[in-house]
Amino acid sequence: MKDNLSLIVKAWFIFNVIITLAPPIYWYANNLKHHLFGLPPTIFYFLIISLSITSSIVYAYIVEKENGRIE
Amino acid sequence: MLITFGMIFVFFLALVALLQSIKVDDSSFSTYAVGNRSFGANFQAMSFLNTWYPGAMFTAFGGMAAASGVISFYVLSYSLLTVMLMYLMAKTVWIWGKAFDLKTQPDLFALRFNSKHIRTIAAIIGIISGIPWLVLGMQALGEMFKYLSLGALSFSHSVILGVVVIAIRQVWTVRIGMRGVVISDYFQGVVAYIFGTLMLIGLTLWLIYAKEITFSTLDAAKFSLPSIGSKEGPLYLFSLMLTGALGGWCWPYIFVRLFTADGVKSLKKSAALAIPLSMIFGIALLVFGMLGGGLSEVKEHPNEVWFIVSQLAGGPILLGLSGVILLAASMGHIDGNIQATGAQIANDLLGNYFKLDTRQLIIISKLGMLSLTVLSSWLACLELPALFSLAVLAYQGIIQLAVPQFLGIFWRRGNQYAAICSMTIGFIVAVLLELTYPGSISWAYGLTSGAVALVVNLAVYVSLSLLIPLSSQEKARIADLFSVIDRSEKLYKANKSSTLTRYGNEKLTS
Repeated sequence: MKDNLSLIVKAWFIFNVIITLAPPIYWYANNLKHHLFGLPPTIFYFLIISLSITSSIVYAYIVEKENGRIE
Repeated sequence: MLITFGMIFVFFLALVALLQSIKVDDSSFSTYAVGNRSFGANFQAMSFLNTWYPGAMFTAFGGMAAASGVISFYVLSYSLLTVMLMYLMAKTVWIWGKAFDLKTQPDLFALRFNSKHIRTIAAIIGIISGIPWLVLGMQALGEMFKYLSLGALSFSHSVILGVVVIAIRQVWTVRIGMRGVVISDYFQGVVAYIFGTLMLIGLTLWLIYAKEITFSTLDAAKFSLPSIGSKEGPLYLFSLMLTGALGGWCWPYIFVRLFTADGVKSLKKSAALAIPLSMIFGIALLVFGMLGGGLSEVKEHPNEVWFIVSQLAGGPILLGLSGVILLAASMGHIDGNIQATGAQIANDLLGNYFKLDTRQLIIISKLGMLSLTVLSSWLACLELPALFSLAVLAYQGIIQLAVPQFLGIFWRRGNQYAAICSMTIGFIVAVLLELTYPGSISWAYGLTSGAVALVVNLAVYVSLSLLIPLSSQEKARIADLFSVIDRSEKLYKANKSSTLTRYGNEKLTS
């Protein structure tokens, strides 16, 4: 399948999969004792994942549209 | 009760008025099954959300957030990953759909693997697995009506009322088909996820300022995740998110959304529109649920957190609104399930072995939808203590479609033997493991039965794909299939009927 996603988008999508699914990351978040930006670390972990996935898709669409890759 | 039921009635009337205004178009089975691939991004986005997030989000997941805390956020993570998967699949699935007039998820299996029988297997797995979830969805409305009756109705009467409301709603699903489903999804989605999100934010602010409940006042245990040394196992959360993300697209009523868009651009734009709304709704719901769990009334009945807090904060008016929102969210999932099942009965079961014209396909589809509505309505009124366990079992089974489905889309090597064997073996392994080790499996470090079965499934698929060589004819056919994707999407959009390849409109059979 050739969808010609840019390298940045592909890397960002892979990054999203890693930070969401890699157990050592949520194990680490679970073990942190201090709050991050005023939030419990596990809440912060899920918010960061959510923001990253959301932003990546919006970015991917905007870039593909501007580059004329979506007809 | 007059206020709460009155609000439900007004919402339902508005919905019926909208559905009645939609022109019935039975000119082709494609129109009936996939709305003739005519929907733009806005409709696609809201239809996806309304099908993806059922009413049980407010009860089951709101309740999970209230009772168990931050682990409930896994539903948000996998829901967002699912949209990412949609973005990756969009071009291939839409173009194949348009070029070969695919109307159902099994149609895609049959095309990719050049097998008539795989269509039947995938359809049977999809239809049977969906039934317990349909029944649960109907029963969830019973909980809603019981609460909105302020104690006047018993649970059994409430369930019957909920079933009646949903069954009446299906009259238009049967009459109009997919066009009615998508258009009503838009209306229902605005109510459920836009007004719903605003109400969730408002109630969260009420919890913080009126009840002084914040993250810092909650028990620290609410912020812990299953990790090394935990009861559930260190891989439990990973398992939930992986199977959630992959499994989402295994549901036929979700997958068919990929065929209803008017183009790849609309499909991708719908992902870009749906995902911020999905994120905001998900965060609002789960934060609300967690904070709501700080109320003593909610501690005893966490699954009622949405109703309890609404009533405490705003009396019967907010309680009525909470019911409207939950009803709107529930309907999308239920009518999507029923519509997709009807289409599969016609297209993938009977239509797979008998030559049926458009009229016959539509009639069989309608009869299938009607039968499923009657069956689920009846089951929803029964005491079925094993229903939830059955639903979980069904879920572990249906996610086994993920391996042949995604590898079939993204990898050229797979063949029909690999696909049929892998998903069948995966299904059997999942069912056996779930029956033996319900929940997480301790010897697998917390992996769920579905996740372990996926590993077996994947091993079988890859092994057979590599061991069984493709004939030169099949290699050429698959190369042609993938080369179709590279051609301009405009060619397909210009044609009202699918042609363009040497396969024409014929179903591929082995």
